[in-house]
Amino acid sequence: MAEPIVEVKDLVVKYNGNIVLDHVSLRVLRGDVLGIVGPNGGGKTTLLNAILGNVDVSSGSVRLFGQEQRKFKDYQRIGYVAQHAIQFDPLFPATVEEIVRLGCITRKRLGRRLSREDKRAAMQAMEVVGIEDIRGKKISDLSGGQKQRIFIAKALVRNPELLILDEATSGLDVCIQDRFVGLLHTLKEERDITVITVSHDLSSIMCQSNKLAVVNRNLFYTDVNAGTDPTNLLREAYGQHFTFVFHHDRNECITHIE
Amino acid sequence: MALDILSMFQYAFFQRAFIGGICSALLCSVLGVFIVLRREALIGEGVAHLSFGGIALGLFLSIYPLNTALLLSLLGIFAISYMQRKKIVYSEMAIGIMISFGLAFGAVLASFNGGFNVDLFSYLFGSILTITTDDVYLIITLSAIVLSFVLLFYKELMHMTFDEQGARLTGIPVFWLNLAFNIMLAFAVVVSIKVIGSLLVSALLIIPAGSAMQLSRSFHSTTMLSVILGEIIVIFGLVASFIYDVASGGAIVLFGIVVFLVCVAIKKLVRTEEGVDSRMTEAVKP
Repeated sequence: MAEPIVEVKDLVVKYNGNIVLDHVSLRVLRGDVLGIVGPNGGGKTTLLNAILGNVDVSSGSVRLFGQEQRKFKDYQRIGYVAQHAIQFDPLFPATVEEIVRLGCITRKRLGRRLSREDKRAAMQAMEVVGIEDIRGKKISDLSGGQKQRIFIAKALVRNPELLILDEATSGLDVCIQDRFVGLLHTLKEERDITVITVSHDLSSIMCQSNKLAVVNRNLFYTDVNAGTDPTNLLREAYGQHFTFVFHHDRNECITHIE
Repeated sequence: MALDILSMFQYAFFQRAFIGGICSALLCSVLGVFIVLRREALIGEGVAHLSFGGIALGLFLSIYPLNTALLLSLLGIFAISYMQRKKIVYSEMAIGIMISFGLAFGAVLASFNGGFNVDLFSYLFGSILTITTDDVYLIITLSAIVLSFVLLFYKELMHMTFDEQGARLTGIPVFWLNLAFNIMLAFAVVVSIKVIGSLLVSALLIIPAGSAMQLSRSFHSTTMLSVILGEIIVIFGLVASFIYDVASGGAIVLFGIVVFLVCVAIKKLVRTEEGVDSRMTEAVKP
């Protein structure tokens, strides 16, 4: 059996006394691509933040690579693209290459200069997402899609074993999304990378993932590859008045309101 | 004129002022890039006003005023960091409280001391005549510490400036580096007090960095240009202070504002030309 990368057990997270995540449990194995969907305010980003140790947990536990979250320090094994990554200060003076190279910095290498390998790794990451030609450009002069790819390259630069994407493809056009899905498949095939991706785009999630989690305070979970129909899960989160049409040959999902 | 400028260096006081000016321009213009981009220009103001309280304390107790300025600035930095970490008040409120405290404390002590005398005025607005050999030693020591820190953690500071949450998630100890950065800021302010004055030092943190941002494409070039502009501003200000016998802080800041306006104008000019070029390229397309 594959090694567990993320294990969440009976997790409860509260904000100002309100329960945001209620006894959520989840297990992500090496090589899994877990898609997380759910309505706005359902707790998707909070779940990611709990996995990354960025919120106070009321009860339950999170383990990363077999280690308790609180003791976990090996952050170079994780690549993360935040939800609003591209909404940075438009006046910030930095080139694409400078931002991607920030991905080389880790706690273990605090205060050390970037090595030739680091610079090569940054270059490779830029090539993977196709931004090597614009590496000298100022980041604020780029389009939304180009900006998004900078952050994906930054997350990939350390060859992470776990890639966490919080709506990383939102705002990208269909071509770049398609290229991104292809990139995820390549990473999974070549590096056995584990991916957790949050999105509102059900179609995109169904294309990318082998496991699906629906979060709406509680978490409902299914193995897409096992052929389980996720309709009931999706209705639990979005409402019973939705009809979900699946094209299993293309792994796509289209929603209708009845 | 050139001979006049060279003859200034015959005076020991101007040599000391020059060394102090070079150091304070270097430190303030480097730290200023991070402060401006983090939208924390207010913290420079906070430290500067705390240092004013410290100077008044030093003059009141007849202790070397830069030491008491450094002490009060550091205590203020710790208080601001504590209030931020414990989420007692918003950051701006914590800094605002410190600004008021520094000024009020200084004003009360100055009143006990018989009002604002020439000595205190020179600390408020800078005076090249009052920089002593002891000041130069302190300035050089603190400058070496601040520069070493920035060179060592340049990448980490850039990461924190660009994306603090992202930096935290890579395991960078953001709180401790922020605290250390603010301590370095207190050092830079103390270094600059005699040259530019505690009330005007925040201008030296903001103006070179803000000017460099108008013309630079990368973070690295912004930092380098900020240092170059900072040095030019301070050297011209010191020379003007010598020639016209005016407060060095005032001369430096006024010259800095001219440099800032020139940079803004150059940026606007370049943008306009780029716009014309791109329109012409569009027009000649088949």
